[in-house]
Amino acid sequence: MNSGPIAEHSLDHEPLLKLEGVGKDYAKLESRGGRLRLVCSLLRGRGAAHVFRALDGVGLELRRGESLGVIGENGAGKSTLLKIVAGVIRPTRGTLHVRGRVGALLELGSGFHPEYSGLANIELASALFGLTADELAARREEIIAFADIGEHIHEPIKHYSSGMVVRLGFAVATALTPDILITDEVLAVGDESFQKKCIAWIERYLAQGGTLLLCSHSMYHIQKLTRHAIWLREGRLERQGPSAEVAQAYITFNEEKSARGKQPMSLEQAAAAHFYAIQSFELTPGKALPHGADLKLAGEAYSPDGRAPVIMIGVGRVDGTAVYAVATDMDGVLPYRVSENRFAFELTLPRVALLPGKYLLRAHALDPEGVRLFDTVERPLQVTGETRELGFVRLEHRWEMHTSRIRAEMPVE
Amino acid sequence: MRRNVALFRNFFKRELSTRYLGSATGLAWALLHPLVLLAVYYFVFTQIFHAAGFRGSNFLTFVAVALWPWLAAQEGLQRAATVLSGYSGLIRKVAFPHEIVVYASVAATLALQFAGYLAVLLALALFGEPLHFEGLLLAVPLWIVMAIAVTGVALALAALQVFVRDVEHVLMPVLMIVMYLTPILYPRTLVPETVRPWIAANPFAWLVDRLREALLDGRLTPTWNDAAAAVTAVLLLLAGRWLFRRLSPHFEDFI
Repeated sequence: MNSGPIAEHSLDHEPLLKLEGVGKDYAKLESRGGRLRLVCSLLRGRGAAHVFRALDGVGLELRRGESLGVIGENGAGKSTLLKIVAGVIRPTRGTLHVRGRVGALLELGSGFHPEYSGLANIELASALFGLTADELAARREEIIAFADIGEHIHEPIKHYSSGMVVRLGFAVATALTPDILITDEVLAVGDESFQKKCIAWIERYLAQGGTLLLCSHSMYHIQKLTRHAIWLREGRLERQGPSAEVAQAYITFNEEKSARGKQPMSLEQAAAAHFYAIQSFELTPGKALPHGADLKLAGEAYSPDGRAPVIMIGVGRVDGTAVYAVATDMDGVLPYRVSENRFAFELTLPRVALLPGKYLLRAHALDPEGVRLFDTVERPLQVTGETRELGFVRLEHRWEMHTSRIRAEMPVE
Repeated sequence: MRRNVALFRNFFKRELSTRYLGSATGLAWALLHPLVLLAVYYFVFTQIFHAAGFRGSNFLTFVAVALWPWLAAQEGLQRAATVLSGYSGLIRKVAFPHEIVVYASVAATLALQFAGYLAVLLALALFGEPLHFEGLLLAVPLWIVMAIAVTGVALALAALQVFVRDVEHVLMPVLMIVMYLTPILYPRTLVPETVRPWIAANPFAWLVDRLREALLDGRLTPTWNDAAAAVTAVLLLLAGRWLFRRLSPHFEDFI
């Protein structure tokens, strides 16, 4: 397995990595006797009686030069998936095809022996990767330089700080120039300058046609370093696609989760209590809006005393974070009367600059003085589209291109 | 394959250095331990019990020829039983054939004890003990047969230990009992007739006898028993490896 580098040009259309219906069960044990019984059933070639499905029915493909992000909550099966790809564990179900050499950096201090010195661990890692002594000798200096941990390289790993272990781990994994590089949460450790160095290295690696499988809780890293992503949830593929889209969906999912439980005041209650209330609130074109398109919001409000209420429209993230809000009294306008107690409002937001993602639009009814808030009605809005920009809103921007200066520095042919 | 050889070399070196060279007296102690044991046995058996009947040879020589291989086997098994836990970091995170760890551990122990064996034989010869050094022509293959068998058992123990922690605790007394039931400290001729077939069923008794015949008597002619022993050793290795390979995919979860 994983023997030798493969020809660069041939078979490039075939995936380097292909998983089909991959699943992994872990044995669940209740008692000491359970261990003995487990050994017996394993020896007889059977699986464990009680299992926990860490991963189920996962299929994916990765071609040379592609980068795939893996996201999901803790315990979603991300590490299990990466371990299967790295060959550390065998899947219980499904098939796995790997072409080329896999370099894996799984968790902190991946594959290091705590008693060995840094140098001895470099040697060990090279042997594990299948390098000959000559190949190692050629790369040792490079590894030591990249890790940049000074004299500590002669000390046992167990005396290292976590940052130093990651430095060494990354230095080793990268110097071995794998066909597929797997990294699991390694960028989360280490100081900022080292993180930058790692990211720069990964970007260069990708630019040179390297293949990356990156697991991270940082949506920033996922969107920056990978083009596609998969979202694992409870061991299954929840979603896959362009990394920006998957990351957005994941962020929204988490925001909705943390926002759950916040119930808006009900309309019936408000009306019965002689409150100013929102009676209807509609979005045009609908729940989904292409990024940059016009959005029209219209509705009716109820006024118990026949005076025109102040209507406020707010745009927020799903978790409640406000993005923008504006009220009729701020702009010096009034909702127009439809009947004795009913008032209508209509607001157009041209070329909505919201970045793709899920949002909540709120219509609030306030008293005519604009002091007290009586009612809130929410409507979800999905802004669709694809972008690698980060944040909520696209701000007007312009890059200053100092073309003349660059040209001056370039050698003239 | 090339990778596995490189890994074996790396682990072997590491087993030797972390175990014996790591502590200041480690290597000395590894070689001294059997010597001290030998001295104690000598004192107890010849000075207190006044035991006799060692086929005409000195008690020291008689026991030394058999004691080292036994201690080598015992230590090889004991170390191998717990060796995997020392590599748990690797097993959890890197793909490699786990059995190489056991091979390296057994090889390191046996290599060191074999070196001690040669040194002791040489010392005894220098003190004028009538040893047949041509007997090494048979003794070396006998050690190899032993190494094969020990490796097989070690593989099984190492794999079982990952799941059932009791293995290492049970192993110690069991090995102690087997040692006293093996004619290492006494000649087989002193064993009562009725028990002798049971002693003969112990493969280590065969090894001990053959080593003595080779090194003390200079009798080198191979027998059918030797062939049977070699076949048994290989079968043990295959069985141990089968068991190990059945269980090793699940190490990651339990180690």
